Amino acid sequence: MRWPLRTLALTLLVGLARPAATQVGQNAALRRAEQAYDNLDYRQALVLGQASLRERLTGPERARAYELLGFCYSALDSILKAVDAFKQVVLIDPERQLDPNKVSPKAYSAFDVALRQVLLVRQLRVDSTRFVGGQGTVPIRFMVTQPARVVTRVIGSQASYLVDSSAWNGQVNLSWSARLLSGDPVPAGAYTVVVDARLGQNTFSASQPIRVAQGGVDTLPHLTSLPGYQELPESEVPSQSWRPMGLAFLYTGGALLGTVGLKGSNLGSSSARELGIVGAATLVTGFVMTLRKPAPRPAQGNILYNRLLREQIARRNQEIAKENVQRRQQVQLSVVPLPKTGAPR
Amino acid sequence: MSRAAGALLLLALAAVPTGGVAQHITIGPQFAVVDYREVSSGLRYTGSGGGGVAMITYRKFSLAAAVVRLSLDPTSRSTAGTGFTATQVDAWLGYDVSSYASIEVGLIRRTADPEFDAQSLGAVRVGARSSYALGPGATVLFRANYLAAPQFSGGGRSSLSLEVGLGLDVRLLGRLHALADYAVQRVDRKTDPGGQGEVDAPIRQSVARVGLGIGF
Repeated sequence: MRWPLRTLALTLLVGLARPAATQVGQNAALRRAEQAYDNLDYRQALVLGQASLRERLTGPERARAYELLGFCYSALDSILKAVDAFKQVVLIDPERQLDPNKVSPKAYSAFDVALRQVLLVRQLRVDSTRFVGGQGTVPIRFMVTQPARVVTRVIGSQASYLVDSSAWNGQVNLSWSARLLSGDPVPAGAYTVVVDARLGQNTFSASQPIRVAQGGVDTLPHLTSLPGYQELPESEVPSQSWRPMGLAFLYTGGALLGTVGLKGSNLGSSSARELGIVGAATLVTGFVMTLRKPAPRPAQGNILYNRLLREQIARRNQEIAKENVQRRQQVQLSVVPLPKTGAPR
Repeated sequence: MSRAAGALLLLALAAVPTGGVAQHITIGPQFAVVDYREVSSGLRYTGSGGGGVAMITYRKFSLAAAVVRLSLDPTSRSTAGTGFTATQVDAWLGYDVSSYASIEVGLIRRTADPEFDAQSLGAVRVGARSSYALGPGATVLFRANYLAAPQFSGGGRSSLSLEVGLGLDVRLLGRLHALADYAVQRVDRKTDPGGQGEVDAPIRQSVARVGLGIGF
């Protein structure tokens, strides 16, 4: 009962590893080796794989042949040989990765041991970024498989810039300010990020081309209003009332009282004609003004509010103007990684 | 022809809109009616006449001057035999102490022709006025003045001289204003004709003026 289960598990793992195998294998011997491996005939797969390596293979085919050998040795519990085979794989293709969910644990651990025994700089990545010169950095990431002295440089057509020189092992995260010694941003153009790792006599180098572009920094637009705040009407029409009529009565009554008060006993009764003319005109005017729509009057609260609002906008625009002066003196750098053209050394 | 041309010019000026510019000067002709009494109720005159008014405002200051020439005739119950012509000049200089109140000083000079048919009067005004906007372009005014240091052509003195007034200014159209003004004066004049002791010779005049004005 144990053998059928083991066979089933191996079959599943081999089946999962197939997608990578189908990508190469144009060579006939290599294709037969893969078929033998698929049929769980590891010894036959080993013989055929080694035979394929004696033929003229492309780089990916050669890496696939060694990988097949590594899988077979792992399945046959020849771990040291599996490690050796996987070393050849990563030397040919340093970016080679195995998915732990799709290969057997034995093969994966052998591959991992192989990685630790070879000095490699893998997975060199430069992220696309955009920042104002002097206010940001270009992130550079890579992995060193052994403790090594690692020198990271950015090489342009006119100059080379040292990013870092340290001893690293494992995942490394660096940043490049993209500035000259003077503090100015580097000129626009094509650059190459080069990572050199040295451990004794062993060296390894990886590179990633990038393009640096320069542009102006966007300036801020001036404000015409504050979001959420709007000016209020500076005049308001008071509600219609009898006030004009009342005032006309009051003023005419005052004149009437004054006339009566200045009557005097010797001079007889006052003439009503003169006061009647002007008083009647006043009362008629008061009545008409009562019926008319009142004149708009200044709304002091709104005037003060609008004044404060305008002062706030003016103050903010002054700040924006100052900031724009600075922004016009700044340079925006855009860094974009380019496709690799050469193979690592 | 010249009167017609003047009327046309007045209308043309009046039709020009103010354009929201603060008004500082108003001038215009006036028609006046008057009631004049002197010494007793028996010496009474009524009449009418024409004149003009000019007003200037500058910030809190205001200056107004009015001239009117009046023809007065004795009333039917008057003991006077003949009428006379009076020319009255009024002036006020005001200062606004608040939105509705002003203090003012001024002068009045009223002369009679023939000279001795009625008392000529000259005095200094000291008083206050209150004005209030009844509505758009309409202002009402109440005035109370003390007539200080009065001088009379027939001599004498005054123990108390007061004037009360009511005014109205209504903007009719553009720069054209309707102006109306009422003033009543009471002068408690005392005379000592023969050195026999003072006798009362009071004067009271009420005058109403209406007219048009052009504002600038």
